[in-house]
Amino acid sequence: MESLEQIITRAKAAVPGASLEIVPNGSPSAQHSVLVDNEHAVAVGTFLRDDPQLRLDYASNVTGVDWLDTVLERKTKVKRTIDGVEREIEETVKTTRPGYLEVVYHLYSMALKQGPLILRLRTANRAEEAVVPSLTPIWRGAEFQEREAYDLYGIVFKGHPDLRRILMWEGFKDYPMRKDYTEPDDYEYEPTAHDEVLEKAKAHQAANEEYS
Amino acid sequence: MNNVEAAKGYHLMTGSNPYLLIILLIAGALVFALTPLAIAWIWSRKFSPPKPGATKNAIYECGLESKGDAWIQFKSEYYLYAIMFLIFDVEAVFLLPFAVAFGGLPVGGAIAMMVFVLLLVEGLAWAWQKGVLKWG
Amino acid sequence: MDEGLRSELRKQGILTTTLEELYNWGRKNSVWPLGFGLACCAIEMIATSMARWDLARFGAEVFRPSPRQADLMIVAGTVTKKMAPQVVRLYNQMPEPKYVIAMGACAISGGPFKQGYNVLKGIDRYIPVDVHIPGCPPRPEALLHAFMTLQRQIDEQALTGAARPRHLHADAPSEFNVPEYGAHDLEPSSNAEVWRPPSVGEEGALAKTA
Repeated sequence: MESLEQIITRAKAAVPGASLEIVPNGSPSAQHSVLVDNEHAVAVGTFLRDDPQLRLDYASNVTGVDWLDTVLERKTKVKRTIDGVEREIEETVKTTRPGYLEVVYHLYSMALKQGPLILRLRTANRAEEAVVPSLTPIWRGAEFQEREAYDLYGIVFKGHPDLRRILMWEGFKDYPMRKDYTEPDDYEYEPTAHDEVLEKAKAHQAANEEYS
Repeated sequence: MNNVEAAKGYHLMTGSNPYLLIILLIAGALVFALTPLAIAWIWSRKFSPPKPGATKNAIYECGLESKGDAWIQFKSEYYLYAIMFLIFDVEAVFLLPFAVAFGGLPVGGAIAMMVFVLLLVEGLAWAWQKGVLKWG
Repeated sequence: MDEGLRSELRKQGILTTTLEELYNWGRKNSVWPLGFGLACCAIEMIATSMARWDLARFGAEVFRPSPRQADLMIVAGTVTKKMAPQVVRLYNQMPEPKYVIAMGACAISGGPFKQGYNVLKGIDRYIPVDVHIPGCPPRPEALLHAFMTLQRQIDEQALTGAARPRHLHADAPSEFNVPEYGAHDLEPSSNAEVWRPPSVGEEGALAKTA
């Protein structure tokens, strides 16, 4: 397969106005991914599927990632006048990057036996605008996996033909795979409780002793 | 003891009425069949109280909640299909002995059978043309 | 009849029995399980019913596809919270007398998925369980052992008197509360009629409940 840079250049030529950037992966696998803007994601996906050199006709995996608000620390050298003398001191600037949700698609080509190309879509934030375009119209196999991402992460796929919860029941309010999810506290009885589970179990103890 | 004597002894055993034996057998069969049922009935009255309930009496038994009624309507095509099947089922019943006895049949028999099969084929063609065989 | 007289009679070649014993003997040798599996434990359950382990030796080879014809529910596998109401409803649809074997770590406590969001921490929170077997999954021998334990329990059940089991009491319940799907969890999270949490000790060990 071509390099990611080549693919991006050709995709940009095919889909004018699309913004694609490489998200580097620092691990030894070095599987870098391509971040696509939501507006042109469907057009880019269609290009990736139909391009004769790529023909990425198979979405093997769709998954969600939850990125919480993170505080980025950056050290800068600033010139300050202290006691009448101008000095250069180091200062840490803290910036808060707002959290967002990500959808990651792993694309392969069955026809040309190549891949994977890793595509990322990002939501605007983690609350009310957790929306990305659905790629199910392009890869039919993404349907259930997008439903799963909706179920567990609360990512709304715009244009999905049948967006319902798939694993949890209708009427369930939480998104269990989000990092700030707290599971229901039903730790009334733990035979070998320890650490945080023991703490939870102890909180129930007072109520339990009423029975005995 | 020859047969006549045996019959005589038999007659003596059952008394004068020859139907008495049959009546005895019927009574025995009834007792044999009804005794376990009676025991089961008495046992259930005495020991195991019935416990009906809303879930227990629900019409559906897959664990999911029962929704709607068990008396739903089937499509009329289903019945037409069933009738068609029945006709050809009966045809097969007649065709088998016909095929077995084919060698010994006079010409008239073969012609009668052909007429029978042709009638059914005509029925099939008619149903086909009516669109009965098309599902949905 | 007292035990001494009975064994004395047996030595003389006279077998005696009671109605209760006859009844329990018949019941314990014709326990029909409900044919359903929830996860990997079901594979072991199937193996148990097949030729090598042969559950038929104990009169339990007839796995019924309908709860209306089953006496025993083998909860074989992980009970997810989505599945729990269905399991309870199936139990409710079984005729009395009915028994439950909770098979495997998941069915008795949630097992490896205990701290997850979607697994019930033991089916005994909603229905009365007669035999618990640990193991992940338990071997067929363990299921056979559980089954023999259940047979022993059935054998000891009294036909009359205050200690008679639930199915002989006219006013004891036969149906148990089916949990509802809530916004965050099943509601209620356990059935207090069936299950009372034992208290947790200081070191995390189970405190002695007298």
